[in-house]
Amino acid sequence: MALRLGPLTLPWPRADDRDDPYWDFFIHTPPRDPANSVTQIIRRAPEGAINPARADIHTPEITASHIKELARFLGADLVGVARLDAPDAADGEAYPFAVVSVVRAEHDPRAAAGLGGQVPVQNALYVTFVLSAYIRELGYRATAAPHPDAERLAAAAGLGTLDAAGRLVTTQYGPRVYVADVIRTDLPLAADG
Amino acid sequence: MAVVPEHSTEAVAGGNSPPASPVGQPPPDAPNLGRTVRVVGTVIPVHTSQLPHPKNQRGELGKALFNWYHNTVSKDPLTRVSAPNHFADRRHFLTAVLGQAPKGEVNPTRQPVPDPAAMTRHIKRVGRYMGADIVRIARAHPAFMYAGNRYAQDIQTNDAYEDLSPEELCRRFPYVIVATTAWDYDKIQAHRHHIGDAAYHVSQMRANVILKNLEGYVRELGYTAIRGAVNPQGAGLAAGVGELGRNGMVISERYGARIHMPDPIMTDLPPLPDAPIDIGVEEFCKVCRKCAITCPTNSITFDDKVVHNGIQKYKIKWETCYRLRPFVSDHWGSCLTCVTVCPYTKPNVWWRTLAVRALSACPIPARPPLVRALKWIDDRFWGVVPQKRVRWMGYDSGIKPGEKACTVAGCTAAHAEAGQSVKVEGNVGYYAPLKENTNRFVKREAH
Repeated sequence: MALRLGPLTLPWPRADDRDDPYWDFFIHTPPRDPANSVTQIIRRAPEGAINPARADIHTPEITASHIKELARFLGADLVGVARLDAPDAADGEAYPFAVVSVVRAEHDPRAAAGLGGQVPVQNALYVTFVLSAYIRELGYRATAAPHPDAERLAAAAGLGTLDAAGRLVTTQYGPRVYVADVIRTDLPLAADG
Repeated sequence: MAVVPEHSTEAVAGGNSPPASPVGQPPPDAPNLGRTVRVVGTVIPVHTSQLPHPKNQRGELGKALFNWYHNTVSKDPLTRVSAPNHFADRRHFLTAVLGQAPKGEVNPTRQPVPDPAAMTRHIKRVGRYMGADIVRIARAHPAFMYAGNRYAQDIQTNDAYEDLSPEELCRRFPYVIVATTAWDYDKIQAHRHHIGDAAYHVSQMRANVILKNLEGYVRELGYTAIRGAVNPQGAGLAAGVGELGRNGMVISERYGARIHMPDPIMTDLPPLPDAPIDIGVEEFCKVCRKCAITCPTNSITFDDKVVHNGIQKYKIKWETCYRLRPFVSDHWGSCLTCVTVCPYTKPNVWWRTLAVRALSACPIPARPPLVRALKWIDDRFWGVVPQKRVRWMGYDSGIKPGEKACTVAGCTAAHAEAGQSVKVEGNVGYYAPLKENTNRFVKREAH
């Protein structure tokens, strides 16, 4: 929590936050039953069908800006479009574009296994689930899945640069970010970066 | 204030009329719901089968509404992924995905709570950390419990305690955690439009994700979490999320009526309950009536409060509000006009905080002049009916609903259906003159 004065945000801890005996449990203790975690539920959900009626879409640049507007509205802090190379085909069909979203992460979800530590993952899954479902409802293929090269794609989409360890570092939030599942799609978009 | 007792059995369990109780004498154990809603008689918990959506699911509200509820796929792709019941593919609707997931187990190693104040701070902080805008806690009371089975739209709420009576549930699980998310202010300026729908439905889905995760966290702490047993509005009033307005919405301190408050969590986790708040809604709603004037179906009363099922409050006519929906579903999903016109619904910025603080700090007898002044400012600067033109993604509230036109600047795509872009002048949104049409079949009561 921080004190917000318009665009100026001071990291001023609230009195409530200094004396919290349960916070470490919330951030670091992994859930005893995975069914209590929303991230598990969303990851396991099957993908829906592509709408057979293709929607009327705008030019690629405008479509890309609309997709980014929707991602930001759903809670992504940074979002970009990267062009995928042809071999990046999972099921024999090439996806030309990847939509990469990035959310702020106070704790690195890879190190903090508690429900609190996984909140960035929950926020990111909310974005990617709804956004990929939206693209499928537009009548185009879109699939959101964890991608081994997500950080590189985020850098390729112009969201930041990679440090020596291959982690994404952004101008806005530094290294405290989590790169969401990559949405691979054939919706005509304009790539950034 | 004149109180008109209204005898209605539609919301009463089993159709039995509540025993007559003298108006003005609250029962000894009545819950404190703030100044806007008073329990003045015996409250019979509402049976879940008598709520609007379950009635409609059984076809009791007529064919048009039944078909709209069950068989309408929205023409708008964003509505198809965010609104209950109008999806083309259920797997694209996140609330349904979450709702159908099996529930987790309660952690057998319980976190001890020696200091309930610390747990209160913690659970509120956790709710905010997960993305909720307001998190408050109510003490459970049978007056705002449902009777019968559990109820939540699109969510499986079965649990092991369904045989318990509301009184017994309140004894065993005495606290209710209410978490809300606010709708986007700029987007609901396009009320009666898909842009406003997006603000409404996206915050609804978001709140469902947060509550599902919070419910899981309560179980991980080693306590029981029950969904679908408590009426969100009653719990919200008791927890002090806000006060009940004339438009039947809970009006909050920071966001006004633009909050989403889905199904709260009933639990035996011991935090300290909050108290109802006073932000002057009682005085404001006596004077303002903007929502009643602009409601396209005349569902909001101009009259005083009534006593319904032992509760004294402004009662909206939910049935006429509901009946409009099948006729407009091509153009928007949720009307939202009563929320948009509410003077409390403003961006959460310093001048809004100043006005609300001034109103709540003002002694009650001195409030009416201040309310009149604030209402005048609201009419002067935001209009009697806000008609702002909003453009977001490809949507534009400046063009007539149903008209297909691309107004995106610089778009050179060949649109198959829309043809060429039409030119819309000015910054005024288009709002269908609905009131004039609905006046013919939803008559305003004669005074």
